[in-house]
Amino acid sequence: MKEVNHSYGTGKIKVPVLFDINLHINQGEFVALCGSSGSGKSTLLNLLAGLTKPEEGKIFVSGEEISRFNENELCLFRRKCMGFIFQSYNLLPNLTALENVELPLIFSGVSGKKRRQKATEILNRVGLEGRIDHRPNELSGGQQQRVSIARALVNQPSIILADEPTGNLDSKTELEILALMREMNRENGTTFIIVTHEQEVAERSDRVIYMQDGRIVEKRTRPA
Amino acid sequence: MKWTDSFRIVWRNLWRMKLRTALTSVGVMIGTAAIVAMIALSLGLKDNAVKSLENFGNLTELPVEPMYWNEERNEPIPDDERKKLNMAAVQELKAVPGIAAVMPMKRLYEQAKLKVGRREGYVELIGVDVRESADYRKNDIEKGTYLSGSPQEIVIAYGVARELRDLEKEKREERRRNASGGRQSGGGGVEYWGPPPDMGENQPTLNLVDKAATLIVTREYRVDDEPKYEKKEVRVRIVGQLIQAEGNRYQDMRSVYAPFEMIKELNDWVMRSRGDEGSVSPRSREQANQQNELVFDQITVKVESREQVESVVKALKEKGYEVWSPARELETINNFFFVIQLVLGGIAAISLLVATIGIVNTMIMSILERTKEIGIMKVIGATVFNIRWLFLMESGFIGLIGGLAGLGIAWGAVELVNFLGSSSDVMQTMGMGFGSSEESSRLAYIPSWLALFAIGFSFIIGLLAGIFPAIRASRLSALQAIRSE
Repeated sequence: MKEVNHSYGTGKIKVPVLFDINLHINQGEFVALCGSSGSGKSTLLNLLAGLTKPEEGKIFVSGEEISRFNENELCLFRRKCMGFIFQSYNLLPNLTALENVELPLIFSGVSGKKRRQKATEILNRVGLEGRIDHRPNELSGGQQQRVSIARALVNQPSIILADEPTGNLDSKTELEILALMREMNRENGTTFIIVTHEQEVAERSDRVIYMQDGRIVEKRTRPA
Repeated sequence: MKWTDSFRIVWRNLWRMKLRTALTSVGVMIGTAAIVAMIALSLGLKDNAVKSLENFGNLTELPVEPMYWNEERNEPIPDDERKKLNMAAVQELKAVPGIAAVMPMKRLYEQAKLKVGRREGYVELIGVDVRESADYRKNDIEKGTYLSGSPQEIVIAYGVARELRDLEKEKREERRRNASGGRQSGGGGVEYWGPPPDMGENQPTLNLVDKAATLIVTREYRVDDEPKYEKKEVRVRIVGQLIQAEGNRYQDMRSVYAPFEMIKELNDWVMRSRGDEGSVSPRSREQANQQNELVFDQITVKVESREQVESVVKALKEKGYEVWSPARELETINNFFFVIQLVLGGIAAISLLVATIGIVNTMIMSILERTKEIGIMKVIGATVFNIRWLFLMESGFIGLIGGLAGLGIAWGAVELVNFLGSSSDVMQTMGMGFGSSEESSRLAYIPSWLALFAIGFSFIIGLLAGIFPAIRASRLSALQAIRSE
């Protein structure tokens, strides 16, 4: 369904980061982007999210060329089609878990009762029953990441972009979170694109894309 | 994004930084309180000034005279160029825009006595043109009807009933009082007792309308330097009573209005005797001469509304009439209070400007603080519009809170001023509360339009202050915002 297809070289101060990237990711795939620091994997993710614009080339998501969208269109597109998971969770500290998950629905204009029901449902689904009224600082790292997964999923997006989602977690929690993401991937057919430099993540992916110095050096598909 | 949700988010953000919100809105509060209190005070003072003017006469009723002095050339206007108060003048006045009705009047040159039953009293007899004055008086009838045009009808002013006294009875009672209460004979004791008890009791039921009455006019003539008096009695019928006039001029209160013809006849009778005598004053001879061409003593015009008084006065002056009216003072009062409002408004405007800058500052600070939050909101689906809206509302609410608080303070100040004013009789010393004791006159008041204006204005100030910060917030790069710690 997606056709990411671009060649470009950019950076804030004209440091070329990505060169001639041509990539196609299918709907429902669980893809890991691997590579050492500075290899350009995060930049690639930001391009996919529409958070930065490519200097050259085109990016298509679900057949739409998001590289030509203006900021407002991108916002609406993200709201509809994309969910985000960050390394540092990026939850709003003064909102409870439930309110954090509700936030995307608020911006989508979902009414209060339906919103609460949906958010509670998804929080239960990620295993946070009984924790929904806690604030982020009252939750462990793993729990916070579960909240942020719930938040990413609550709008039922077709793609979830995760930037080192397990980077701040210990290995046990990391495995739990990974398992949760795979489960969501299987259940809803949501595409996951995960930036990581951890082997465990790569091993559990359908496909691993290795990057080095702004180029894709290896695409390896896990044997089914 | 729903309105209610956005308001909840805004409210939560404001509540989170309540101290800052409160401090910022204090600026708006002071500005709003200053504006509202000052406008309230000047409105109140102006009202009091206008009210005290009204005590000198109804502001919409203007007596018109010919102009005697040419102000431009600074010389008297000769007799033949001077306007004459005749029927032509009445027609001319009626054509002036803003004038609702015209009442030409002719006074009786002698005092007349009105006698109803056993009560009698001196009244001011005024002849009016029935047709013209019916228009003028159509809303002024309290009881009965107005003059219909048939002869021997009169209409009395509100105060006339009070003027009439049963002299016989009063004398009788005074005698009785003196006889029985001799010990109370301190100076002015009787006077101090006020109206005789009999009058006080009867006053509410004392109704002269539809009663037959007698007008008694006395003329004086001299035979061999001996004054002689002759009485003429006219039987009349009181058909109506006017409402209490806004003004309380004494002569207005005891006026009796009768058709022209009656007055003319009576005047002729009074004059003839004097003409016979031969030693009349030049003034009365002139009046006697003019009798034939129907010149009025006075023309009173009624202006449609108080706002039109100034323009009517101006138009009349251009046509060569002299008008004296307390309304002319209105212009001075208006100018005076306009200047006061301008000065106070200027001070308040400056404080509001400072408050606005304060809001801008607070908003920029809170955007810096919440950079990451804004980034997150953008990433999870807030549009540029959503972000702008949230921050605009936030600063608008700061303004609104300040405005409400300021309005509250201004209200408190107004109440305080009114309380102090009424208790320490500032009004009396300032000569403001003259004669208006029936309604508690207030030094200051806040009309509802002022309250609404203050609230709306402070909200708009908040909004304006929020425009720049809101745009700044919406322009933040989501990526950088998220990465910032």
